[in-house]
Amino acid sequence: MGNQKVPTWAAIDIGSNTIRVVVARYISDHLEILATDEEMVRIGESVTSTGEISAQKSAAAIATLRAYKALAEQYAASPILAVATEAIRQAKNREEFLAGVLEATGLVVHLIEGDVEATLTFYGATCGLGKEAPVPARIGVMDLGGGSTELVLAKNMQMNWRISVPIGSGWIHDRYFHADPPTHDDLAVAATFLQTYVQGLRIKQRPPLLVVTGGSANALLRLARYAFHVSAQETHLTYEDLLRCEGLLSALPAQEIAERYKVPASRAEILPAGVLIIRTMMVHLQVREISISSHGIREGVLLAYARHGSQWLQRVRCSARDVTQEAVEVDAEISRAASESAEEPFDRSGHRMLLDRTRKMLERRDEVLKHEDVEAVHRMRVASRRLRAVLDAYESACNPKLFKKAYRCVKQLADMLGKARDTDVMIEHLRAQLEQTPAEEQLGIQWLIDRLSSYREQHQVVLEAFLKQIDEDAWKRKIVACLPVGGVENGKS
Amino acid sequence: MAKARPITNLDTQAPTGTNARVIARTRLEELYEWDKYVDDPYQVHELHNLRIAAKRLRYTLEIFAPVLPEACSGVLREVEQIQEELGELHDSDVMVALLRLCLGSLDSGVGYEDALVKASYQQGKGRFLLNPDMAAYLLNPASAPSAGQRQGLEYLLLDLQKKREEQYAAFRQHWYQLQARDFRREVLTILDT
Repeated sequence: MGNQKVPTWAAIDIGSNTIRVVVARYISDHLEILATDEEMVRIGESVTSTGEISAQKSAAAIATLRAYKALAEQYAASPILAVATEAIRQAKNREEFLAGVLEATGLVVHLIEGDVEATLTFYGATCGLGKEAPVPARIGVMDLGGGSTELVLAKNMQMNWRISVPIGSGWIHDRYFHADPPTHDDLAVAATFLQTYVQGLRIKQRPPLLVVTGGSANALLRLARYAFHVSAQETHLTYEDLLRCEGLLSALPAQEIAERYKVPASRAEILPAGVLIIRTMMVHLQVREISISSHGIREGVLLAYARHGSQWLQRVRCSARDVTQEAVEVDAEISRAASESAEEPFDRSGHRMLLDRTRKMLERRDEVLKHEDVEAVHRMRVASRRLRAVLDAYESACNPKLFKKAYRCVKQLADMLGKARDTDVMIEHLRAQLEQTPAEEQLGIQWLIDRLSSYREQHQVVLEAFLKQIDEDAWKRKIVACLPVGGVENGKS
Repeated sequence: MAKARPITNLDTQAPTGTNARVIARTRLEELYEWDKYVDDPYQVHELHNLRIAAKRLRYTLEIFAPVLPEACSGVLREVEQIQEELGELHDSDVMVALLRLCLGSLDSGVGYEDALVKASYQQGKGRFLLNPDMAAYLLNPASAPSAGQRQGLEYLLLDLQKKREEQYAAFRQHWYQLQARDFRREVLTILDT
């Protein structure tokens, strides 16, 4: 079983749909894959319906992990690294499940966070990139899983943005599809939900190349090869290819898809959801085709181990944290605050939170005044809502007169931002609609866009005048002063 | 829009986590006060209030996340989704109302006045749907749409009404899924831990 001097490792990932293993040797900076296997256990199915991993799913997972451990041992792979993702993260009985796996198989399974999952996937999915064609400066990598989808954007192969959303092919299937094949109505409802959700993601760049990985993406490639005679060497699928796949998947039951096109039946069931998610993301990112990678999180785990040895997970966690993304900042703030506020008396935490939220809201003022990024208003509005939520929570502990004064100020600002944001959203929706509308219908939409844009510019003048007159220190004092705190004098800590 | 209910049974000297649970429970109850309107797709204002209540619960869970049970993150995900579904529905309602005003107003001063009166009336009753400043700006007879533009707006209105039906169906389906698993009880149980 190979050269003893060359290290051989195995990686297992326990996903929402599938449990997979890869055994590989690491030779001169690249992985030589020795064996792979996958089993659709669909742990996410029971988590979506009951919030827990059922005894049946747990037993199936343990049986699969035992078999994978035996496979790794055949190749003398050591260590065997195992990670678990969204379905396990969401399961109420995750601790019990992980302890059961350890007891039954001896495998230590690392429950990784969404950002770590995205980082490892990026490492894995991009490891073979650039061998056949030059890679553009900006790329996106999307890992479509059963319970979550990770999207990473990178410049010159350095990740600079990422997000993990708790929506995957299994999740969409379980929640929206009630027939096999799914009905037109089910598909329409799921499509509306996905469009809504994706529109809410603040994706700032549109990379020219989108690499997609995950079981569903690879199954779609296989389907296109069998059904539409796409070349066996081809690893790209166009938007039209995906539409054709979708047509097929909505016309035939999963069992027939499985028999005709050599796709496992359990995978065929969730493929309509998978293709819908990929298509929605393609439309949002405005890419005409995707590149499909057969590598993903497992290869990423092995590459991380190759780079960092036993510290691989800690190092990946650090890298994931370095990527600038607003949600990450929020998470970090929450973690920091956690240590400070768990046992903190209510009035003290209120004082701290009011000051912090006021500061955060006012920090957004400059970018709104610049009027360059349409999302700036949205960010300041969200910050104002968080501040209002703090004020609402602490209202009964506040001095009523001072509270009213402070609340009025924040509400006035929030209303002005709301008018701006609502108009921006209307314009955005209309622009998206314009692209899909026949020419004779475009006249009306264009008229409305022009009128709304003109109104928005007029409102910007009013908003800027309001923002410019805000005295930041006076606002902080006014807001903090409404909550009297023992041990804190005049609102100054 | 209903105002957030002030919470009176708080102990300012108690740990923040204890009070945060009381606040989250209140926001949850506020959310379910609008439950009776879920089956009526055209209770536009009530569905909007449900959305605002979802938003308040969401932000409460977010700002107190450090002191609430970890399982609240799953609750947050569902509440965010409800809020987003209702948000899209509300955006469509606003656009439909605006288009109806645009198309309903004649290109004469009388129609314009009527439309403005309607918009102001809605605001005056505290049942705010359209921003009257925006309505006034759009309905100005000096920049009224041409016949061709009006036809395009008619098509847009039809599209939006269809889309709105789909959005409502998506929201309602999700709401009933939550009901089926007794989401309210689930959240209360989490908050009790």
